[in-house]
Amino acid sequence: MADSEEIMEALLDFQNQCNENKRLRRMQRDWTKLLHYVATDTGDVFTMRVVSGETTEVKKGKEGVPDVIVETDSETLCDMFWGDINPTQKYLKGEIKVKASQEDVMRIDAITAVIWPEV
Amino acid sequence: MSIIDLMFQETDPDKIRQEAEANYKEYVNPFALRMLKNASLDIIEDKREGASVWDISGKKYIDCVTGAGIFNVGRRNPEVVEVLKKALDKYDMGSWISLFRERGLLAKKLAQITPGDLKFSLFCCGGGEAIEVAIKLARAHTDRTEILCMENGYHGVTGFALPATGRDVYKTPFLPLVPGYRHIPFNTLQAAEAAVNENTAAILLEPIQGEGGIIPADDDYLRGLRRLCDEKNILLIFDEVQTGFGRTGKMFAAEHSGVAPDIMVLAKSLSGGLYPLSCAVFTEEISDFLTAHPFIIINSFGGTSLACLVALAAIEFIEKNNLPRNAAERGAQFKTGLQALQQKYPELIIDIRGKGLMLGVEFPEESIGPRMAYQLKKNGVISIYTFNNPRIIRIMPSLVITKEEVQTVLEAFDHSLAEIRNQEARFKR
Repeated sequence: MADSEEIMEALLDFQNQCNENKRLRRMQRDWTKLLHYVATDTGDVFTMRVVSGETTEVKKGKEGVPDVIVETDSETLCDMFWGDINPTQKYLKGEIKVKASQEDVMRIDAITAVIWPEV
Repeated sequence: MSIIDLMFQETDPDKIRQEAEANYKEYVNPFALRMLKNASLDIIEDKREGASVWDISGKKYIDCVTGAGIFNVGRRNPEVVEVLKKALDKYDMGSWISLFRERGLLAKKLAQITPGDLKFSLFCCGGGEAIEVAIKLARAHTDRTEILCMENGYHGVTGFALPATGRDVYKTPFLPLVPGYRHIPFNTLQAAEAAVNENTAAILLEPIQGEGGIIPADDDYLRGLRRLCDEKNILLIFDEVQTGFGRTGKMFAAEHSGVAPDIMVLAKSLSGGLYPLSCAVFTEEISDFLTAHPFIIINSFGGTSLACLVALAAIEFIEKNNLPRNAAERGAQFKTGLQALQQKYPELIIDIRGKGLMLGVEFPEESIGPRMAYQLKKNGVISIYTFNNPRIIRIMPSLVITKEEVQTVLEAFDHSLAEIRNQEARFKR
């Protein structure tokens, strides 16, 4: 089990990776979304705001009406933000639950694919 | 060794996969490869026969996608293959500017089997191109510009067809599009009545929305549209790309309502699953425009010798074996079996709909469609959600599917639903 500080550390690193990747920023320039990440075992919720492909905000707590809700256990959340797992495989196996349109699910996977192409 | 020799002589499944994946990654589309792999749909098809395909390692799958209705006569139908082989002994595609005996024969056959006064055919390669022909003819024939099309409809992604497709995700990156299209709610006659005006050229729709989630148009709705079009001198265009050639239990889905359109668009299964072909079939009155402008819509690869002979063989097979009846019977078997599964998994299946072997199973949320496809593949069935509505898994097998094969698919559904139920329970704990 990962505590909220560990998840936040991973999430901030993920934000940096996203924002520093010019190719990703350009690819996602038409994507503006509010995402909630829920750690099902600890109950922690994190909010991530993406504006025109730039991750402008990450914070602990639930804010706004999300376009995307990602639910999984705290360890898997950390693994996802560190790039240690392929999130879509986990999603299709029912280990990560995503409440979102299928287009948004694919966009999230595209982010992972660009940052960590070998995962 | 040449690339072609290598292609046919290499039998090691690992080497074949390695090479295919490397080339996809470097030269085709790395993200498409990733998505296919993630969804476990990265099947490299080897043997293809009847309702099934075998991958390069010899695993058999029942194909319940069939390219959204391409393989009505079955995968690699031996009678149709034989005709193509025979044709290749004598012909090539033919030069598009020549006179084709086989094109005339196919057009005559289509005039005989399509409903109402549909008579002339203009041939293309893909469904989108044939939609473009239908829209151009409608505008040219009526001297009006507006095309009424349906929310959530799908008509392809090419120039004149893309604006008719009723979902922004396909269109937004390519704006501006060809103007003059308006989307109205499907299956609502009042919406159509309210939308028509003096500039309406045509109403375009699928008799069963395919990518929209397998949604059949009500018979009364189609009859109402026919009346409306007749009153206002508007053309009625049916996109039967997915529904045509026996798929819904009749040769064409239009027959269920008894409504004949002014233009019918056909593709997918017209190819016999072997040689690309599509066409717009239209009335003699509409053909007047082409009499005045005979070469204004041309297509180098539309209606080639080989394509027309294959299409004739495919239609002959469909008629001789009464595939529409098999579609109706096997479709009924599917529905009965799926309804039993709905009783067993009421929290997972919220609707079962469609006609013949064009069926959709609706789940309560979007994630279940892709997850079901993943589970079904593990259980030997290829299926995929509908692109405009991922909550629906489509069941569109070949029309030669047997009673036993339908039972096998139903058992795969049962096992897959049980796994999804377990996954949902794990989340609730």
